[in-house]
Amino acid sequence: MPECLVSARGVGHIYGERAAVADVHLDVAAGERVAIAGPNGAGKSTLLRMVATLLRTGTGTLTVLGEELPGGARRARCGIGYLAHDPLAYLDLSPRQNLQVYADLFGVQDADRRIDDLLDRVDLIARADDPVRVLSRGMAQRLALARMLLHGPRLLLLDEPHASLDVGGTALLDAELAAMRTDGRAAVIVTHEVERIASVADRLVVMRRGRIVVDEPVAGRGPAQVRARYEECIA
Amino acid sequence: MSTTANRPRWTRQLAGLIRKDLRLELRTKETVMAMVLFAIVTLTIMQFGFGTRDNDLTRFTGGLMWVTLAFTAVLGVGRSYVAEREQRVLDGILVSPVPRIVLLAAKAIAIVIYMGITELVVIPLVGIFFVKGPYWDSIGWIALVALIANVCIALSGTLFSGLALFTRARDLILPVLFLPALVPVVIAGAGATHAVVGGAHDMSEYRGYCLFLVGYAILFLLVCIATYDAVFDD
Repeated sequence: MPECLVSARGVGHIYGERAAVADVHLDVAAGERVAIAGPNGAGKSTLLRMVATLLRTGTGTLTVLGEELPGGARRARCGIGYLAHDPLAYLDLSPRQNLQVYADLFGVQDADRRIDDLLDRVDLIARADDPVRVLSRGMAQRLALARMLLHGPRLLLLDEPHASLDVGGTALLDAELAAMRTDGRAAVIVTHEVERIASVADRLVVMRRGRIVVDEPVAGRGPAQVRARYEECIA
Repeated sequence: MSTTANRPRWTRQLAGLIRKDLRLELRTKETVMAMVLFAIVTLTIMQFGFGTRDNDLTRFTGGLMWVTLAFTAVLGVGRSYVAEREQRVLDGILVSPVPRIVLLAAKAIAIVIYMGITELVVIPLVGIFFVKGPYWDSIGWIALVALIANVCIALSGTLFSGLALFTRARDLILPVLFLPALVPVVIAGAGATHAVVGGAHDMSEYRGYCLFLVGYAILFLLVCIATYDAVFDD
């Protein structure tokens, strides 16, 4: 039985008087890639932020990488890689300097070599010492990809990961997600690109008004079938 | 896949965050330059405002210096999370396993450094502008009280800037919270400075004010330790 990396039991979060997420039950096992889709305001990003330890749960219990939140948040963070809408990089520092900051925060060993390897993988080595401010949006998002992978996280949390990535960046991300099936990592991917779910995820979770309305395997479905199923769920 | 990270040491995290802040400041030169220019302009205005060179303002020296430094501190502290906020980096920092008190310590140390650089200009300028009697032989004592006061300013300032960070009217809230908290620092800083300038060397009074500042720093350190996790995690 694969290890469970995320376990949510009755998890909820309230903004003001509105329940952004309510009574969510979700398990993510090692080797699994779970795509969360849903219309705007469905609570996808709020749920992802709770799993990322950036937002406290209002109700229920949430366990990430074996650590119950919020008490075990700091230990859980060692194994989380988070990719957001923004690159989460200092614009006045270079990609190399940004990665050095994160290497210090995560305690990455042999950091210089690891940073060079990653910059090479995301094809930023030639621009490694330019300020992020002068890089294109796509390049900044590649840097975000390198930042997410820097400390070798077991759990990847991705919020609209394909937005702003060019063909090369997308291929790199998809290869990373494909490799996860066998190496014991897991990913939770929040996306609006429903057709892409067929190629990057094993499970489709559809949220609507803060609740999970569908949680089922993707296996065997093509992009058009996934799209049809999604539209059926949110209709 | 095996992880390439160990449980990180807080000393490395602290050093990395301070290095990052200093690198950003070296590249942009926004905070320290603004603080130094603001302090020079304020002291110049006061010099004109208080009359001609014939007036001996020695007994007001401490007050003039510390009021200037208090307002300069508000400027510096107000910019302490600007990069994280405007460049939307805060989530990246908060999702890392860095204890929140280390975030505070790094910001506080950066503020101590920025205030120290500002005082390298302010302390001599105060002597030139306002003091008629002996001043330069007391400069070591003034620097010492400035160092202790900087720690007070940095601890309270970082706490309040952290609190203001998540509010909408942060530019308004920070001075409203921070300036009243600086009143004891201004009183003690001015008192300690007054005790040693113009030929007066009342070391017992000086020591008393310094001990008061140390107490203030310890108090705010304890408040920071007790609240900083909640500031960032709630």
